[in-house]
Amino acid sequence: MMCVLVYAGIAVGQDNVQKYFNDAACKVKATNDPSQKREILNNKFQDMSKALGMVRSSPLVSKTDRAGIDRFKAALQEKQDELAGANGYARVSDDQLNAFSDYVVQDMEQADKTITMSVVTALLIVIIIILVT
Amino acid sequence: MKSPLYRSFVSATHALSMPLVGLACVALALFLFSCSSIPPAHRTTPPGDEGGLSPRYSIVCIIHGDGGYLYHDAHGDAHRADEVTLAKAKTVAERNTQAEVFIFHERRRRHLLLFLPRRDGTFYYYRNGRLLAEESYWRDQGELRFDTEIELYDRFRAEGSPDPMRLFLYFGHEIPEIGGAGYDASYKNRTFTVGDLADGLRRITRDSTKVDLVVLSTCFSGTPRAIAAVAPYARYVIASPDNLHLSYFDLRPFERLDIGLREGDVSGFANTFARHAFDRLTEDVQTAVTVVVYDVDRVRGFLYSADSIYGRALITMKGRTPASIERCDCAEDSAYALPGMNEGMAVFYRPSRFGRLKHKESHSGWECWRLVK
Repeated sequence: MMCVLVYAGIAVGQDNVQKYFNDAACKVKATNDPSQKREILNNKFQDMSKALGMVRSSPLVSKTDRAGIDRFKAALQEKQDELAGANGYARVSDDQLNAFSDYVVQDMEQADKTITMSVVTALLIVIIIILVT
Repeated sequence: MKSPLYRSFVSATHALSMPLVGLACVALALFLFSCSSIPPAHRTTPPGDEGGLSPRYSIVCIIHGDGGYLYHDAHGDAHRADEVTLAKAKTVAERNTQAEVFIFHERRRRHLLLFLPRRDGTFYYYRNGRLLAEESYWRDQGELRFDTEIELYDRFRAEGSPDPMRLFLYFGHEIPEIGGAGYDASYKNRTFTVGDLADGLRRITRDSTKVDLVVLSTCFSGTPRAIAAVAPYARYVIASPDNLHLSYFDLRPFERLDIGLREGDVSGFANTFARHAFDRLTEDVQTAVTVVVYDVDRVRGFLYSADSIYGRALITMKGRTPASIERCDCAEDSAYALPGMNEGMAVFYRPSRFGRLKHKESHSGWECWRLVK
């Protein structure tokens, strides 16, 4: 029975992280104002980054998961940099923001398999994301 | 004589206990049903009595769904990759009136009432466009990865001549080259590697005729090791050396094999399929899209030369943390600059629209490992 709950927990955790970025993409596409689009994406990146930082410092998180969180954070930072045009990136142009929001969703869904986390970590991220947003 | 109070108490408890007893009986029946060694079968025609012409095409389709397969399309709608692919595979099976189609859907293990395990595989067998059998099965019964699937394949496949043209499709996440534990979310200790996939192909071909076309609809299946593993059992392979979006390769060209493969030109069909899959993916996907057709006879030389180099790289990477290694185009590593590296392939490539590699203009069609600098 524990296994069932563990698998269900992992699924819930992964699915919710994906839905989080998908919600951002939907909101970006729903507005025509480029500055609002940027703000939506930036806020989502920052909230997720904050949640990851809080989960990382939790004693419940294993060393392996910390490494996974670090890679997740690094991938997130790359996207923040590209959006802002920092760290060697050319700034994403206004007319590319919708496509960029899709890119974030798709890239995170692909990363899902390479960045694996335990059920505790996945659920913690989801809980904290709900609390901080 | 019982008192009215006692009678009303008995009546109340009786009324309450009846649904509970009923529920217990249902639970027991479901438990016995779920633990039965005889799978529930649904056949519309008995084996060997299917009638009609011998199929000209034989398609085996394995869809892995025991993992994180949620993705969102450009409209924001959520999909389960395995469910979407299953529906498409069924359409292929129904529209090919000269084919036999085996579909194996490997699902996440679920439980009834939290503790009663349910079967986690479903098998569909179509012949000449008609569904002849549908069975659910346990995926963990065999010693080898595809024992149950091969048993079902042997039980249902059409006998007779001439040999049909054979096509094999696999849909799932990246198939590990070494290790392989954790591929199935429901079986953390069970392993699955490209070697297991190749063994499944070997048992389908029975060490004789090769599969005409193998389609590996997964991330990172275009590596020297993965292609070398399936090469003994395949004439042509279509794979993605890079990430592949979970909407996978579009199956529409498979829906009319009587047209697509009319002349028996597997190479031409493979190229048409790959081009179509590439075009469909690049419509909506912002990440990199790479689809490659490997002519196995013509890439054999490169595979032979690259094998030891790639093998050494795998050993080096084995003890490293995931953060210290990464995938890369083999062309970026001079060790793989070998004769024949660019022969025998049709590469369809478009770089990622964003990210560090958005200006990468081409892909060799081979993916390797390297240490992160």
